[in-house]
Amino acid sequence: MTDTDPNSGPVPAPEAVSPPEAVVNDATAPAGGVLPGLVEEPSGPQTFRTDAAAKDGLNKCARCGSTDVALNPATGKLRCAFCRFEWDTVTMNEAFGLDQGIGELRGVVMGSGSADIVPSTDVVVTFKCGACGAEVVIDTDHSTQARCHWCRNVLSMNQQIPNGAVPDMVLPFRIPKAEAVKKIAEFVGKRKFYAHPRFKAEFNPENVMGIYLPYMVVDVNAHARFEGQGEHQTRSYTVKVGDRHERRYDADLYAVTREFDLHVNDLTVESSSEKLSRTSSATNNIINSIMPFDVENAVAYDSNYLSGYTSERRDTNLDQLSPLVHAQTGDIARHQAIPSLAFYDRGVRWDRERVDVIGQRWVSAYLPVWLYSYHQDKGGGRSQLHYVAVNARTGETMGSVPINQARLITASAVAQVFGTILAILIFLVG
Amino acid sequence: MLEITTEALVAAAQVMASEGDDDARSIGLVFLLAGPIFYWVIYMRYRNSDKRHHHELETEAKIHDLQQTDEFVQARKGLTSSSMKGANYKDVRGTVR
Repeated sequence: MTDTDPNSGPVPAPEAVSPPEAVVNDATAPAGGVLPGLVEEPSGPQTFRTDAAAKDGLNKCARCGSTDVALNPATGKLRCAFCRFEWDTVTMNEAFGLDQGIGELRGVVMGSGSADIVPSTDVVVTFKCGACGAEVVIDTDHSTQARCHWCRNVLSMNQQIPNGAVPDMVLPFRIPKAEAVKKIAEFVGKRKFYAHPRFKAEFNPENVMGIYLPYMVVDVNAHARFEGQGEHQTRSYTVKVGDRHERRYDADLYAVTREFDLHVNDLTVESSSEKLSRTSSATNNIINSIMPFDVENAVAYDSNYLSGYTSERRDTNLDQLSPLVHAQTGDIARHQAIPSLAFYDRGVRWDRERVDVIGQRWVSAYLPVWLYSYHQDKGGGRSQLHYVAVNARTGETMGSVPINQARLITASAVAQVFGTILAILIFLVG
Repeated sequence: MLEITTEALVAAAQVMASEGDDDARSIGLVFLLAGPIFYWVIYMRYRNSDKRHHHELETEAKIHDLQQTDEFVQARKGLTSSSMKGANYKDVRGTVR
């Protein structure tokens, strides 16, 4: 194997015609397949504790002692609702150096909030109010805070229990509700003509909900090796076949290998099994499409960031998400190799691929989404959940709008008539 | 509506042109599919069922210690396709289905 400048093309072709050595099929690596997996993994996952300083119960404002604390989206800081005092929370990158040392990762490293969910762990958790002693219940499926019904203090759950409710970090909302409403209205406004009449009548973007959805953020240290063949075009010309002219191409075939270390930073995957599913009953691809988030600005988890928003509890474990992360690492490796393949203007066919995950660091996160949902009853017991989603950090908006099929089919028929007339004219003239 | 219909038909013609087929009769055949093409274009614009996060492009990644070999094998003449048969270097397999 030789080292060459990745920006230059291959050395001019030698005279000898030799078959590529590296395309021998390997029983463990099917053609075109990625071989993910851990190599030399240290004994078991290594966990770093992310809730060491967290405290359950009454989280008070440092200045006035109030427990009414919420995010100020304009500044990204927590703000006391009584005295307006604002304070910052340290980012996870600053606290744990999550943006560093990817090349040194070995085996599985994970935040304590990413630990496996223990099925027997309660979803509804009861706390004793530190101010009045009353029992207060928090339904962790949708929130990690509750207001004491006696003394009106807010109780927060910040310590992690193995039910997936308290992640390692949270990325606060940045886009305010008014802006999200405007974006959703604009998005749907451009798709009104063929929209379902009932949807148009019922559409009200003010019903958008701010929701923290669960994700896993993964850093990957991998080693990739690709072997295959590439073609470089040398000539393009036309030949006469019967009474037709057809284009032909000449190309040089090369045996190609690329091998490199790959450091992936903040690969983000959904960790809600419901949002991961791709059935026809819900348009979950919409929520997927508004990624990426600027997770490098995520802060250590504090329930006060969730005040005024809802949340969805993580219900998948690392083992369930690993195949997806490894497959996506393979995709990233394949695409990272593309700039070094510029010489092969006709493309490259990888016959053998190997992507070994040497180390990986998993951190669970709540990421902010403005979500407008519309449940379409299609009749006959069939229904579909349509989403219009806004990334509450970047403002990226995507959605699914129910269609007025009768109108669209009629318009398609009209298009077909025009198209047929044009086709006849073309045939007659051409 | 007519305006959108025309746009869809023009788009369809452009698609065919981009395929490299400059035969007017082939474009005529595309116009014969104007109805289904129009339906598909509008359906995707409203439903966006093909949209997804492009993790392979939008995830921060760096490569180190790139080693590469490129060895000439043979010259191929008279190929009919404008791209390599079986090329898979841009494949994406990690999408959620």
